[in-house]
Amino acid sequence: MSRVVYDGTPIEYHDGDTLAIAAVRSGQHPARGGTLCLAGDCGNCVAIVDGTPWVRTCQTPAHPGLVVRRHPNGSHPSPGGPEQHSQVTVRHRAAGHVVIGRGDSGAAAAAAASASGDDVLVLDAADGNEVVGVFDGPTVIVRTPHGVDQLHVHHITLATGAAEIHPVCPGNMLAGVYTPKAAAALQAAGVDLGRVATVGAELVAFHGQESVVAVETANGTITECDSVIVDLGSAPRDLLARMAPMVPVTVVGPAAAAHALPACPKEGVVCPCGKITVEDLDGVWRKGFNELELVKRASLTGVGTCQGGVCMPHLRAFVADRSGTTPEPFTARPAARQLTLGEAAAGFHIDTFRRTPLHAEHVALGATLDKFGGWFRPWHYGDPIAEYWAVREAVSLGDVSTLGKMIVSGPDVVEALERLYPNHVHDIKVGRARYVINLTERGHIMDDGMILRDADDRFTLTFTSGGASTAEMWVRDWVETWGLRVHVLDRTVSHGAINVTGPLAGELLRRAGVAEEDRPKFLQHRRLDVAGVPCHVMRLSFTGEASFELHHQIDRSAELWQALMHLGAPLGIKPHGLQALFGLRCEKGHIIVGQDTELDSSPRRVNMDWAVKLDKPAFVGREALLRTAKLPDERRLFGFRMEGPAPLEGSVIRVGGDVVGHVTSSWNSPLFGHAVLMGWQKRMPHADVVEIDGREAHVSEVPFYDPEGARARL
Amino acid sequence: MLVSEFTDHVAGWRIIATPAALDAAPWPAGSHVVRISPDDAFVIGATKPAVPADAHAIVTSEAGFSMAIVHDLAALAEQHIEWQLPAARPALAQGQIAGVPAKLVLHTDGTTQLLVASAARHELQERLS
Repeated sequence: MSRVVYDGTPIEYHDGDTLAIAAVRSGQHPARGGTLCLAGDCGNCVAIVDGTPWVRTCQTPAHPGLVVRRHPNGSHPSPGGPEQHSQVTVRHRAAGHVVIGRGDSGAAAAAAASASGDDVLVLDAADGNEVVGVFDGPTVIVRTPHGVDQLHVHHITLATGAAEIHPVCPGNMLAGVYTPKAAAALQAAGVDLGRVATVGAELVAFHGQESVVAVETANGTITECDSVIVDLGSAPRDLLARMAPMVPVTVVGPAAAAHALPACPKEGVVCPCGKITVEDLDGVWRKGFNELELVKRASLTGVGTCQGGVCMPHLRAFVADRSGTTPEPFTARPAARQLTLGEAAAGFHIDTFRRTPLHAEHVALGATLDKFGGWFRPWHYGDPIAEYWAVREAVSLGDVSTLGKMIVSGPDVVEALERLYPNHVHDIKVGRARYVINLTERGHIMDDGMILRDADDRFTLTFTSGGASTAEMWVRDWVETWGLRVHVLDRTVSHGAINVTGPLAGELLRRAGVAEEDRPKFLQHRRLDVAGVPCHVMRLSFTGEASFELHHQIDRSAELWQALMHLGAPLGIKPHGLQALFGLRCEKGHIIVGQDTELDSSPRRVNMDWAVKLDKPAFVGREALLRTAKLPDERRLFGFRMEGPAPLEGSVIRVGGDVVGHVTSSWNSPLFGHAVLMGWQKRMPHADVVEIDGREAHVSEVPFYDPEGARARL
Repeated sequence: MLVSEFTDHVAGWRIIATPAALDAAPWPAGSHVVRISPDDAFVIGATKPAVPADAHAIVTSEAGFSMAIVHDLAALAEQHIEWQLPAARPALAQGQIAGVPAKLVLHTDGTTQLLVASAARHELQERLS
């Protein structure tokens, strides 16, 4: 005879015993009380098995050395430790016809389906294949001994039979109460139940302290006993058929049969999972929750581990009694069984975080990398202030490979871009570039970037790193909607980009083989070899200093970066990460779309009316801008300066004690020696002095740095 | 191992042109053409293809993809692909593999290549290992 450890004490079990049967065999309740069905329908036998909580011990075969602990008394168990979070294997499989349940009706359904030529797969918890969810698709989620199967099926037949109804009356959470089938299973296993009383609908109450010692029936009889078998009939075990309303599920056998509801419960625990009593139901009913779904939500009856397996018939009987109408069962929600985090996450992937072609360079330079906008990006290389000064006073490299990049070409390309963007496009000369904002149909800023003209019929477009993923869709959707002849090629992941920035940026390019007369001027662009690497050189500025973005094919990125770092060493070159970059651009007053803007930020609200040409006949968002131009101006993005440490981004902005907005960008400026911020005031007229973090902040003109823009043109 | 190690970059050319121009394009000998969409061809091979008969075609070298050889397509599909693979070969199948956008090039000889943006190859390799 082998043993398992139950709450620290080894107990013996017989071959074929489940943990629940082993517990009862040893004179214990497998949990802490409540009717046992031993069919997996209730949560009255759940325990922590080898560290995993919420395990139905009636469905778990005993084997030597299993360690079982009861859940804490009166509370729920904590999630398992790290050892319980191991990766669960998932299998995606296709199946023609899934039959859930291999009893008589399931076997008949499977045989009929096979005879009609269906590819049939029969699943049954007794075989270790426990269906835990049915989703639209249809997709059937199965917990198996090997992990989790996600079955993509054409037809589902549910043949899960009927569940025995548990009693609800005073004392129904005592140990020693069994359904008829549970008692039969125990007796078949040779478990001695002692003095047994059998009752049905005449049941009134159980008596006892922890275990039942007597049962009382309607005629006043009190029968002393050690165990009570309660036969109240059955209810359909059709949870899986109620999980995905759009999925046609054929229910057969007892699961489809009509079953009488039990009498309305008068007293006792209705929902053993949540220990919710008839009195609790009456309480929510009196508060006006007079419908089954409302009673469920207000009382939380039916949301426990058995998902209504025990309480549903009683809850329906309760509502029928109070309302006079018998309600249909409530919608079921996956999962039908308590899952581990690993099982729930099986097959689920978080967003892909991409690596730029310079990832290894950043790692070699000791960068602290962060996940930002779908990419791993260097946050800093150890000293963000030194990186800042390298940009302001010398030369620095920034990896801007994550920017969205696109080539558009075609006979209608100018027309398309004129309609897409709110500024003029036709007058951009070949070799010139223009800053642009992208608007939604509602006139809200969704992105920004550059338009660079390569030829009469060809342009390069750039987008923010965050906007890159939807840029192609945005362009294609509109171009196709308008029926314009434009070719579109997204180059975001095919081209790397290095921003060479700082007052010595031009000198670095000279050392890399670009003569001064060949360098593009501000807002110009050219195709040049830089350190032997073919580049599309774009003269822009986000940092406020002279900047050359070197766009190039990604298989040359590392070579270009290394050459520039080498050539720039005598110039004091340092790479800069996002932390320095965000500060540099904050000083310059450049917004970051999504950080400084909100979902409904119009150009006017961020003081960028200049980027919109309403004299154009049409562009995305124009009509909305015309309409909203007449509305009062009730919110604006402002620049602020304040003494002391920069407040956290997100800090509230107050005026006279009232919250009027929040800080969107914040930076301790090494150059100015005070904090520079951007943030919203959402009350007009705006205040010139506001309170942030209990300190005064003063509205300030932006850009804070080099308002004439001379540095960018060096 | 469901797939081989990914190459760093696949050398090739990307051509965006009208579907008719791409249909009629004479591809270089020895190249393999992956038709990503009716107006988009990825020509794997070092030789620059002739510009198709489309005055506005975009023809540019392409190094944005990494490639691996699929060792066990059935197992890859069972574990990491939620969509149905094409039954016929040759074929190009595109969709998420282990949650990463990727392409499967199914050749008539039964071999299969897996293409993924180089920027995502580390993530995909890790998810498939």
